[in-house]
This record gives sequence, C-alpha cells and structure tokens, in this order.
Amino acid sequence: MVNQIKSDIAMQAAKNMFIYFSKLIDKPVFDKNAEAIGRLYDIIVKPSAVYPQSSGLIIRKGFPKRRYAVVDWLSIQEMDKKEIRLNIDKSKIAFKEKHDNKEEFTLRRDILDQQVVDTYNHKVVRVNDIHLLFVDHSLMVAHVDISTRGLIRRLGFEVPVDFLVKLFNKKAKYLTLEYLITWKHIQPLSINPVSMAIKVDVAQKDFRNIPAADLGEIFLDLNMKDQIVLFKSLDISTKARIFINIDFKTQKSLIEDLNTSEIVDILNNIPSDEATDFLEKLPRDATHDILSLMESKQSKKLSQLLGYSSDSAGGLMTMEYMAFPKDTIVESVLNQIKERVFKVEPAQFIYIVDENNRLIGSTNFRRLILAESQAPIQNASFPKTYSVHLNSSVKEVAYLMDKYKYYAIPVVDDNNVLQGIITVDDILSQVISIAWRRLKRIKVQPKNL
Amino acid sequence: MKKRLRRFWLGFLIFVSLVGPGIITGSVDNDAGGITTYSVAGALYGYKLLWTLIPAFIILVVVQEMNARMGIVTGMGLADLIRENFGLKITFLIFLGLVIADIGNTATEFAGVAGSMMVFGISKYICVPIAAVLVWILVVKGNYKIAERVFMLFSFCLLSYIISAILAKPDWKMVTTGLLTPQMHFNKDYLTIILGIIGTTVAPWMQFYMQSSVIEKGLKIKQYKFTFWDVIVGCTATVVVAFFIIIACAATLHKNGIVINEAKDAAVSLKPFAGVFASQVFAFGLFVASIFSATILPLATAFYVCEAFGFEAGINKRLNEAPQFYALFTSIIAIGVFIILLPHAPLIAITIWTQIINAVLLPVVIISMLIMVNNRDIMGGYINNKFQNAVGWSTAFILISLSILLVISPLISRLIK
Repeated sequence: MVNQIKSDIAMQAAKNMFIYFSKLIDKPVFDKNAEAIGRLYDIIVKPSAVYPQSSGLIIRKGFPKRRYAVVDWLSIQEMDKKEIRLNIDKSKIAFKEKHDNKEEFTLRRDILDQQVVDTYNHKVVRVNDIHLLFVDHSLMVAHVDISTRGLIRRLGFEVPVDFLVKLFNKKAKYLTLEYLITWKHIQPLSINPVSMAIKVDVAQKDFRNIPAADLGEIFLDLNMKDQIVLFKSLDISTKARIFINIDFKTQKSLIEDLNTSEIVDILNNIPSDEATDFLEKLPRDATHDILSLMESKQSKKLSQLLGYSSDSAGGLMTMEYMAFPKDTIVESVLNQIKERVFKVEPAQFIYIVDENNRLIGSTNFRRLILAESQAPIQNASFPKTYSVHLNSSVKEVAYLMDKYKYYAIPVVDDNNVLQGIITVDDILSQVISIAWRRLKRIKVQPKNL
Repeated sequence: MKKRLRRFWLGFLIFVSLVGPGIITGSVDNDAGGITTYSVAGALYGYKLLWTLIPAFIILVVVQEMNARMGIVTGMGLADLIRENFGLKITFLIFLGLVIADIGNTATEFAGVAGSMMVFGISKYICVPIAAVLVWILVVKGNYKIAERVFMLFSFCLLSYIISAILAKPDWKMVTTGLLTPQMHFNKDYLTIILGIIGTTVAPWMQFYMQSSVIEKGLKIKQYKFTFWDVIVGCTATVVVAFFIIIACAATLHKNGIVINEAKDAAVSLKPFAGVFASQVFAFGLFVASIFSATILPLATAFYVCEAFGFEAGINKRLNEAPQFYALFTSIIAIGVFIILLPHAPLIAITIWTQIINAVLLPVVIISMLIMVNNRDIMGGYINNKFQNAVGWSTAFILISLSILLVISPLISRLIK
C-alpha cells in the first residue's frame, strides 16, 4: 500500500516533467523586469542527439503585422505552463519582419502538423502534438503524439470532450490510451529548401531493419517531394529494396527525378528479373538510353532478358543463380558460396552444369553439407532435376513447381543450356494476379482519389 | 508536311493520355445543385444573367490552374498543404465548413435523384434509398475506378442540354445581349442568384478534388502545358453546359412567366414548350449528374478530412483499418438521404444555405491557396504571375463583398423604407 502511494508520487513528478508543445505555444514571454515582450511562437532544437534538445526560442508579436525575434535558450529564467520569463532586458531583443532561417530545425515548422515516418510501426503518421521533457533547464523532444485526443487538445476542446466521454463511459479507451511514439523511432521528413536534403537524418539504421514490403508501403504513403528527397538520402541497398517494392507508376516518377548515374546504380543493384520488369514497361527509347549507360555485362544480360515475352519463362526468370561445373569438389563449392555476395533474391538451389553450361543436375544446401567434402558436387545431386524451356508458359511453370515442390525452377534453351531460374515469389505473384483477374476482385484503387 | 502531321498526332495522343484532372473535375462540376441554380436563374431572369458565366469562367480557370500547378509542384493534396502551412485551428474551421456544406450538397444531389425520377413517375421514397444503397455498395464493395469512367461517359449526356436548348428555340439576339452586357441590381434575390452561380461553378470542394486528381495522375512539370489545356477544356465544358441550361429555361419558362424552385420543375415545365423528348433528356441528364456527384462528394469529403487530420483513408482499406473514413462517408450519405426523405423537407432553404456556406468558404479557400501559391518555399520558381494574383485576389474580394452585401441587404432595404 505504501509502495503504491510512493510510486504514485513518482508518477506525478514524472508527469510534471513532461509538457506538450501545444501547451507552450502562444504563452506570453516576459523580460527580467516583468514587461511583456510577445508570445512563444516556435522552439529551435539541435537535431544532432538521439533526442533533440532545445537551443532557442522564437517570439512573435504584433497583429496583423507580425514581427519575430530569436532568443537563446540560456536567456530563459523560468518556464512553466503559464508563462516564460527571461533574464535579459527587453531592449536587447531585436525583432525582424520575418524569421526564415532555413538551416535550423524548429518544432512548429518542421514537426508539428507534418508527416513523419514511424519506423517502429512501419507507417507514415501525422504529428498532432509533441511531448517534451524538462531536463536540466532545457527541453528535450521525447515523443510525438498522433492520437485523436492530441487533435482535440490542440483545438482546445480537451476538457469538454473528456467530460462528455466520461459521461458515457468512465473507462473509455479514449481517456487512457496514449498514442505516443518515442522520438527514437521517428524519421522527420522536413526538407531544407535550399539544399533539397532531409534536415534530420537519424533513422538510416532503422530503415535498414524494416522488411522490404513494408518499406515499399511506407514509401507509397509519402508525397512525391518527400519520396524523392528521402530516397536520395538512403544507401544503395535500401534504395534497391524500396525500388522493387513500389508500383511502376511510382518507379517511373522517381526515375524522372534522378540523374542517369543514380538510375544505373539502382538497376545494377536489383535482381535482373526486377530490372527487366521495369525496363520493359518503359518506352523503347528510354530503355535503350538506360541500357547504353550500364555496365556492359549487366546491360547485355538485361537486353537478352528483354527479348523474351513477359509471360513466358524467359521473361520471368532471373539470371542470379548459383551453378558449378560437375567436377567441382563439395568443399570448394561451399567456400565459393560463402564468398559470393548475392542481390536480394535468396539462393535455395545450386545447379550443376557440364563444360558447355548444359544443366545436368541440382542440389541444395542440406545435401551439400551432408556430402563428403572431397567428393565432386555431382555426387550430391538430386536423382532427377526438372527444368522448363525459355518459351514455357506461366501456367506450365506454376504446374511444375507445384508438382515437384520447387522453390526455384531452372530455365534452359533448346540445347539444355542453363539460362536462368524462376523463383517461387515471382511465379506466385503471376498466379495470384491471374486468379484475381478471374475473380474480378482485383482492386486497383490508388491512394489519392 | 508529313513530319508536322506526325508531330500533331503525337501531341494529340499525349494530350488524350493526360486528359483527366481538368475534364473529370469539369464534368463533376455540373451537379444537381449547379443544374438547379442555372435553371432557376434562367427561369427567373431570362437571358439577363448570362454575363455572370464570363467572370465565372475566368475564376474557374485561374483557380483550377493554381490547383493543378500546386499539385504538380508539391505532389501534395490541398488538405495536406493547408494543414502543414496554416496549422490545426484554421484547418479545422475550413473543414467544419466544408463538411457542413458537403452534407447540404449531398442532400441536393439526392434531391436531384428524386426530382429526375419523379419525371419518370417514380416516388422519392423508392428511388432515393435505392440510389443511396447502390452508391454505398459501389464505393465500399465495388470498383470505384471503373464506375468513375462509366460516369465520365454518361456525363456526355450533359451535352444533351444543348439539344434541349435548341429545341426550345431561343432568341439568339437576346442571348448575345445578355452575355455581353452585365447588369447589377442590389436586391437580395439577384445577389443570391449571382453568388449561387459563382458558388456552384467554383465550389470549394472542387479545389480539393482537382488537386487530388492531378496527384493521382502523377503529373510532372514537363507536362504542365497539357495540364493547362486540360483545365481550359474542362472549364469550357462546364460553362458551356451552364450556358445552355440557362438558355433552355429562359426560352421556355421565363418567356411564359413560370417560376420554378427545383431543377425537376424545369424538366416538368419544359414538356409543354419543348416537347416530351426535351423534358426527358433534361431529366436524364439531371439524374446522371446527381448520382455521379452523390458518389463522389461524400467519398471526396471523407477523404480530405482524413487526409488533413491524419486518419487512415482510402477505399482499398478495410473497415477496421480506416474506421473514421467509413464512418464519415456513411454518415454524410445517411444525413443527406434523411433530409430528403423528410415529408416536408425544406429543400429550397437547404439549397440556398448550402450555396451560401459554399460562397463564404470559397474566398477562405482561395485566400489560403493564394498565400501558399505565392510562397517560394513551397512553389519554388512556379509562383503566381501578376494576372493570376489579380484575378485571385479580386475574386476573393468580390465574393466577400457580395456575401456581406447579401447579409446586410435586408437591413438596407428596411432602412430605406
């Protein structure tokens, strides 16, 4: 019981240390002689730390002709929910017509009411309020509030709405549920209009941990400008992961805002089947221009893939696969696999070919590990390996993969020479889209009306 | 020569593939409220009010061009932009007005459904609930994108008003005079109808709709020239249809001194003067326009509100994923239908009040657009030129003065007495 009371007191103290930004906005500011200066307009923060710390105040006065002044955080004597008292004289504060330092990061302009990425829940959210923490005389950005209650607090209806809700349901979720997201997981999207770069760039690491499909979804929720700027700020592997997970329209709109070296960079870093999927939808001239700028090896591969019809095995396949000559010894195969870096596609099977690159068999990791390390790879092969021809239809491929429970099926030409593989995810998306088209239930409604 | 022909075809093809935002918006623009206002204007004042279509056209083009440009440059919806640049309180006030006006608008659309079906002898207690349920199912369960295209095709029926007008044998000399000589009378009815014409032609929710369509198309500044022509074509279509509705009603109803209050009255009263065919064409056009807007209006309104306040939105989301969106969409339809089904629904009062809210909201939306479109941080090098600013600001100014005049005109007339 005593403990309960103690922790309640601690909670109370903790509660007092937090303050919502909306409770500070427009509070009067006084100088050391208690003379009114103006009202709090905005807070400048240093975005460098994990939790940004306040470094200055922006004060606004006058209506309709507004004037602004910046005051250093050290000039603040005291600050509470009612007012802000400074330790300097009124005469030392210089008001200007406008305040628009584009370099600095401020709460009202750059976070409040803006869209940010919640890298924990993998969503794009709009900030309704900012939860600040008093630490040693300064304020730290602790959480952002995305709740409806935050909206209502901003509008000043918190008391009546709370009363109404209590009237109907004392234990309403609305009253207790807090939608606070810790700043650690927030990626702000405010853009410096001069350099066209994202002002705060802390969440790079977080983006890398988000599954590729979610990353694509997040991206589609952003507006065009944010998409481009955010995209440019990411590293190449995240770029590649996003690129293959967004629809063609967004891909195209992105490409239009990137320079050719960036485009080539992306296409070099995504699996060849995804690259051809994209390229074959572009006008022929554009495809040609891009191919001519790419590494000759990669572009040769892509132009070959582009030659196949998009609903045949040739059009579906990727050229990233593992194949070894039949006489390679198992140990050396395993070592080579460890050293190779693979693009996004997972490698499930290892193919065995003869000196003319003709397919003779296949094996998997389990068989390789269990095999005698000095034996040739051929000994570890499955008894029989099925393959499809370049011209096989989607249905044929799907049928065979289902029948033999393959995660990937090899594709060969007329002479049984291995050309590429089709992985289960590519065939699955094809089959699903055929099934949906048949059910007439495919919804192609984009985000905006 | 051959080369030039090829270039022409290439340009034409690009244009057709980009046709969309302006023309779609233009065809949604002539909804039941619009048709009612134009019919009443024609019946009451004959050809006298035709001149208002010229300023309405200029305002429409300038405002929609700004929307298109803002959408292209920022890639953001108007609701998003307003929230990010003016904060929550102003956004809340604008959307409060927008939601109330749109509930009224939706009610007018269902009134249009009821009225047009009455011409074919179907009671409103049957057709309105059926229409509402169909609209709801279409949006929530069906494929809205395909429906939109079908509506687009049907909206060519609106061009049938041209036939109605010509069948009514108007006096073309008086048409020209009415179009080219502006007349101003400072009485309440006249001001209301002028404000109504502008408020319904340049309805505030169209601005939000237009900008979303531009973003949905994913247009880039390279394609600006085509978008500009798309806006011009869309606005022209809107105004031409309005022009012929006014003429049709002026040539028949006004000439014979028939006073009407609703669009369906126009359809009914056209019969003796222009024939059954003209009357039914008019009613069918009204029906299509009403149901088209009754679908888009609640959907669009729910969408912008959710966009501005950060709720999940979109009909590709499930009910429990976007509860606010579906709740809003459903209640706008429900309230609209409820109002219409009241036995003695004050339809005229609803129409007039909706238009007044529209007309009061319009300058607010236009002013916030003007502030943003002139901000280099938002628009970069694509801020307004002097002409666009002049038209924009004077529109806001004139609308505000007209609204004030309308409010105080009863006082003035009382004072004079």
